Amino acid sequence: MARLEANGTTPAIELFHVFKRYGAQPTLYDINLAVMQNEFLFITGPSGAGKTTFLRLLFLDEAVSEGHIVVNGINLQRIPRKRVPYLRRQIGVVFQDFRLIEHYSVYENVALVLEAAGFDRRYIPKRVRQVLRMVGLADAGTAYPPGLSGGEQQRVAVARAAVGKPPILLADEPTGNLDASTAALVFDLFAQLHGMGTTIIVATHDRELLGAAQGRVMRLRGGHMETEQPCS
Amino acid sequence: MNRTEWGSVFKRTKRNFRAVPHLHVAATSTVVFSLLIAGMFLILYANVNDLIDAWKRDFRVIAYVKKGLPPAEGESLVKTITEMEGIRGAVYVSEDQALSRLKKQMKHRSSLLEGLVENPLPPSVEIELARSDPDEVQVREIVQRLRAVPEIESVEYARAWLHRFSGFVTFFRLATVVGGGIIFATTVFICSNTIRLTLYARRQELEVMKIIGATDGFIKMPYYLQNFVEGLLGSVLAVGILYGAYGIFTTKLAAHHTLLSAGNIRFLSLWEMTGLIGGGISMAWLGCHLSLRQFTKS
Repeated sequence: MARLEANGTTPAIELFHVFKRYGAQPTLYDINLAVMQNEFLFITGPSGAGKTTFLRLLFLDEAVSEGHIVVNGINLQRIPRKRVPYLRRQIGVVFQDFRLIEHYSVYENVALVLEAAGFDRRYIPKRVRQVLRMVGLADAGTAYPPGLSGGEQQRVAVARAAVGKPPILLADEPTGNLDASTAALVFDLFAQLHGMGTTIIVATHDRELLGAAQGRVMRLRGGHMETEQPCS
Repeated sequence: MNRTEWGSVFKRTKRNFRAVPHLHVAATSTVVFSLLIAGMFLILYANVNDLIDAWKRDFRVIAYVKKGLPPAEGESLVKTITEMEGIRGAVYVSEDQALSRLKKQMKHRSSLLEGLVENPLPPSVEIELARSDPDEVQVREIVQRLRAVPEIESVEYARAWLHRFSGFVTFFRLATVVGGGIIFATTVFICSNTIRLTLYARRQELEVMKIIGATDGFIKMPYYLQNFVEGLLGSVLAVGILYGAYGIFTTKLAAHHTLLSAGNIRFLSLWEMTGLIGGGISMAWLGCHLSLRQFTKS
């Protein structure tokens, strides 16, 4: 596996005293963290530790209860509602359950990101074909998600997250529904994207994946974030 | 939005129509039925209103003259009446003129009058008032002055009846507004629920769109377009059906020679039709807007 080091010197994501509460009990407690540009960061912890919540805060699917998050220099607590879609275009997201649109073909699922961002219509087919080739699904453009295997669906999800060339990619348990060999394939895709300069944060409790990880690993425990393994 | 985004919006609108056709048929039918009811009311209202206006314009006081008055005295009576305050003009109608008028009005049934031995109609003076829309008090004053003229036997005017009918028209107008409001609210509610069902069927797609950074406009526009098409189609269909029904009704009316003349009943004017179609589109649009606003909030 390639070495996954941060090349950047400026932070892509910063969290300052972030709390997230559902009711009285905080799910995340006073999180302070800086993720450097082009860093490969793993967030681990048991189920229910708040990994998904942590990621959702980063693309504003949830708002913090307290504190501040800065993404690419933008304070998420001060961003006007209208600007949220533009922030989200800077962040690709991969989910454990893929979240593909079932009645859209593979091509349409991936192209939708570029259409929503208003890319030139002549550029879209080229870029979609390029990214489908990258994930090994060049011939699956006309297929529909229900007809694909879990591994193939997750590769489509990675293609969708990467097609807009976002500087940040978040993955929530991306290998949770995959067997070991397919998981390795998906992880290789993340490594490729990291090699292209993308900042990657993967939330996982996949021990195998963490064992092979060479990036920084942070552990969420009881709402607190601790460094598990320094950047090697 | 640029060309790419609009292209995607149109593609998704088409997809929406294909995906849940029964919902779109239901929404369009709702607009059609609502506008059929509203349109029928509007035609009725427009015709009654026109009738009232015509009656107001043609409002006259008729003074019936004692039988056997020589024509020369009739002319002098007209002069006396014309000089009265509040009267613009007067025309003397002799017994013969009155009978010939009646024959013309009865057209197909004029043969009924053939057997008359004596002309039963009295001579009269038709009086036009100075004000086109006088109030009840003014009319009563003029009528009192006319009754004081010895040659005049009786005076008739339809003002009181017209006032009562105007009261009915006011009530009818109010009922149209209230009824129209209820129809509008019901249609908006049904269209809103149709969109809600479509949104529910599409919730996975909508969630994904939010995550990938689609703007609200990009997400919502296909639904607005869809409802615009449903509103337009529904209202044009309703106007078409109304026009067809109007054609059949007036044809049947003309064939039966009833007192109500087919030529006097008009269809909606261009502006009224535009208003009806605009109303249909507005109802569908508002229903969609309410659902989408709720969706955006959630």
